[in-house]
Amino acid sequence: MASAQLRDTKRRINSVEATKKITRAMELIAASRIPKAQARVQGSKPYTAKLIEVIENVGAAGAADHKLLERREPKTVGLLIVSSDRGLAGAYASNIIRMAEVRIAELEREGKDVLLYTVGKKAQAYFRYRGYQIEQAYLGVTDTPGYGDARAVANVVMEHYAVGRIDALEAFYTQFVSALTQTPLQAELLPITPPEAGDDDESTAVSYSFEPSPEDILNRLLPRYVEAIVFNMLLEASASEHSARRRAMKAATDNAEELIRTLTVQANRARQAEITTAITEIVGGAEALADA
Amino acid sequence: MAKSFQVDVVSPEAIVWSGEAELVVARTSDGELGIMADHEPMMGALTTGAVSVQAESGERTSIGVHGGFIQVLNNQVTLITDRAEITEDHEAAQQVAKSLADEQVEASEDVVEP
Repeated sequence: MASAQLRDTKRRINSVEATKKITRAMELIAASRIPKAQARVQGSKPYTAKLIEVIENVGAAGAADHKLLERREPKTVGLLIVSSDRGLAGAYASNIIRMAEVRIAELEREGKDVLLYTVGKKAQAYFRYRGYQIEQAYLGVTDTPGYGDARAVANVVMEHYAVGRIDALEAFYTQFVSALTQTPLQAELLPITPPEAGDDDESTAVSYSFEPSPEDILNRLLPRYVEAIVFNMLLEASASEHSARRRAMKAATDNAEELIRTLTVQANRARQAEITTAITEIVGGAEALADA
Repeated sequence: MAKSFQVDVVSPEAIVWSGEAELVVARTSDGELGIMADHEPMMGALTTGAVSVQAESGERTSIGVHGGFIQVLNNQVTLITDRAEITEDHEAAQQVAKSLADEQVEASEDVVEP
């Protein structure tokens, strides 16, 4: 019966409209967070740049011996995987997880052990479900990562590296290129590859006075460097996540609009069919009476 | 008027202070340290405490600092701090520095989950 179809279609339109309201709200929330997250990425850059400059100078002054710099044959490789706590961000989390999983398979083929450090619920849930060994999982970090979060992550991995629990650490995170492009990246974190002083650097011959000793300074500098890099990754990932979510929610909103349009046409057609049927019935009835 | 030099105070989150200054007083692990223009190249580890920067205009800024490094090179002074916050005066700076240090300990304690 036509009126039942009309009622169903109208009910669907209402439901899609309600969904659209939600996705629209999520889109706006994500959009409002992007500039802030982006500003934080920018804000962290001077610090990292200055830190690298200082490390270059210390390295040039001849202090370059530290356990975090020491390379050893990797038997156990740690993977730091930065994903998100929440879904509804398109392929954001699965892209980075897939990339990490490929690398895990590769390492296992080479006969190496793998330890996972996950940031965000998505990576934790994925790898735990598949029976991988998760050494440490961090939750509630990705929305607005603070330096303290980065420090907590960095301290654990550096500690594990120092005691030989892992022999190398690779990080997987999403780099924020622009609001439209976010690239999943793989980066080697430990051992530290010291930033090389450029050849054109006239400051290489500087003889510093160190307060305290160069070794002490380096001992404090390198952990800061790792922290700063982890912090930078978390910030990039956070900006990427908000962008990915905004885009996913925009697509969902657009789809809902499209669906509403199609359903409205359907509803109109159903209504029209109902009217036509009614008229035909009346006319048919009237003619039957006239004939009689 | 004393010669001035470039000073940058950065923290992981932002540039805290940047500009020309005549005098920087900071505390390193070896003790209090005053830096004026043409200081010899130096690298030091900062401790928790107040840093005071006297700008070219004569204006003094107190900054509460927790940990980090100070680099002096070619009349460029860079303070790379873990946490830093500009405050009204020296005492406030010291207090802020202390509270920054405490906060940090707390913050790093609650994020780690097994």
